[in-house]
Amino acid sequence: MRDTTRPLPFATAARGVFDLTLDGMVFSRRSLLMGLLVAAPMAFAVLYRVLAATRGQPPLGPTDLYALMVAVYWIRNVLPLAALFYATSLVADEVEGKTLTYLLTRPLTRASIFAGKFAAYVATTFTLALPAAVLTFFILMTAPTAPPLAAALADLPRDLGVMLLTLVAYGALFGLLGVLLKRPVIPGLVFLYGWELLANVPGYLPRFTLTAWLRSLVPYRPAEDGLAGLFQQVLPAGQGLAVLIFVSIAFVAAAVWIFSSREYVLDQ
Amino acid sequence: MTRSRLVFFAAMTVVVVGVAAGVGALWLNPARAAVGPLAGAALILPADAKYVMGFDVKRFAASPFYERFKAERGMKPDALAELEEKTGLNPARDLDQIVVAGTGVRGTTGVAVALGSFDLYKLGRAIETNGKARGTSYEGVTVYHFSEESKPLSIALVDESTLVFGPADQVTQALASRTRGEAPLKTNAALMARVEAIRPGSTFWMVGDQSLLASLPTSIPAPGATAGAGSISLPALTGLTVTGDLDPQVSLAITGEARDAAAAKNLADVVRGLVAMASLQAAQKPELQQLASAVSVTTQENRVLVSARIPYETLDALQPHRPQAVQSTPAPAAR
Repeated sequence: MRDTTRPLPFATAARGVFDLTLDGMVFSRRSLLMGLLVAAPMAFAVLYRVLAATRGQPPLGPTDLYALMVAVYWIRNVLPLAALFYATSLVADEVEGKTLTYLLTRPLTRASIFAGKFAAYVATTFTLALPAAVLTFFILMTAPTAPPLAAALADLPRDLGVMLLTLVAYGALFGLLGVLLKRPVIPGLVFLYGWELLANVPGYLPRFTLTAWLRSLVPYRPAEDGLAGLFQQVLPAGQGLAVLIFVSIAFVAAAVWIFSSREYVLDQ
Repeated sequence: MTRSRLVFFAAMTVVVVGVAAGVGALWLNPARAAVGPLAGAALILPADAKYVMGFDVKRFAASPFYERFKAERGMKPDALAELEEKTGLNPARDLDQIVVAGTGVRGTTGVAVALGSFDLYKLGRAIETNGKARGTSYEGVTVYHFSEESKPLSIALVDESTLVFGPADQVTQALASRTRGEAPLKTNAALMARVEAIRPGSTFWMVGDQSLLASLPTSIPAPGATAGAGSISLPALTGLTVTGDLDPQVSLAITGEARDAAAAKNLADVVRGLVAMASLQAAQKPELQQLASAVSVTTQENRVLVSARIPYETLDALQPHRPQAVQSTPAPAAR
């Protein structure tokens, strides 16, 4: 018999919240929009193959196109954007919809609520992004002008790992913004398209961005114009992995702490 | 199971199947290389090599680059041209890959391993008919020595998929290593570490170590400086890796290793300066603007990575314009 004066164990509670949140997240308008955005490279890849078959080889090779998709499209732009829209709303949506009370009055610890919601965010974005990356890889790398598939395949698990790390690191940061601020989307966008540009300046400043560490984990360096082309640095991969794991844990821990200690007064 | 979990597991299945297919293909691929892009048969090349380069002949012959420039002089690598001249091989048909290793000492030739599918009988007949080579047998392998040059060159018809070509002493050394089951090149740890880092599938690649690079210039003239007045000193390179592809555009990735991060930064600044100067020239030559934006320079600890993607249109624009053919009209007869 469970002691009803005590909250549910962390794992059981987090799993319950995960199930509940996953249902709401996967089948939502937001997921439809994000799914289209995240899976767009698959359509580009198909179009590329059709163009290559009908009009001759396009100027960009399949390997270069895949590199561009991974380094610029997913890791730099779309996955952080997906993290922004999902992770900032983990708690903010409940506050806005005035449904947070229903969660907080259950016998669940706040840490388990946040953990369950964060796990659901990771699972949802994983569901949208990683299969699209796998299929894009195979569509492009089986093109006649691509290098031998066996040679390129070693890159796939690493690319998927870096994409997952992108979702976790940005998700942790935006999850923190979500519990800290009432309107976190604008500051999040400013961070993504303002602060993160520091990754392109010389010196030590790129180390204060997430994108510089993330792009150092993939070997793709598409030629870029402007500052990025002139001063792009590749930071040590081992250090990058450690920094990203550390900041992800730190941001999630900070978010849990703030969520656990904050008083939520819902407007009537 | 809820609908959302079903979707999640379906997505995970796609990812797991993709990764498993990848790992499976990697293991089951019979032609997988021994070290990076280097085939196992090429490991009989000498251990004291200062550079190793590989050349995917099939990809090269199928590239737009070959199609455009095949008539140009110096288009073929020396090893390939010599092999073709001496044996009557058709590189596009018979050769898959050529690996050359050498010491880079002036006046010496590297030794090459050619991989492909060869009709040894026809090849032997062609060489013998030529009359310039003397055939012997060494370690059970037919070796032809071409004696008309100042430096004796030899070709060993190892088997239907392997030929070894180069200076006679190095060819026989390679054959001896093969018989003993040794892989001398693999003992050159510095070069092998660099070869291992090369992604297989490039049309050409090259790695060189410190001693090969010692002969490189240590300074270049400063822009605008009069002769001997000013120069930019270049940090010494301790290693160099070049990989490239020729289809659908010319892609080059050059990795230079400097002594430390500061030297790498200096070197990167020099390269960036050159790229910036090319950009400044764009007012006179718009094609240089394209070239400058096609190059990216990055640093990674003690390494400088230069990658360039040059479309063939830019290469065409950079070609010196050939004078138009003069119409050969007969001169009017003097009256």
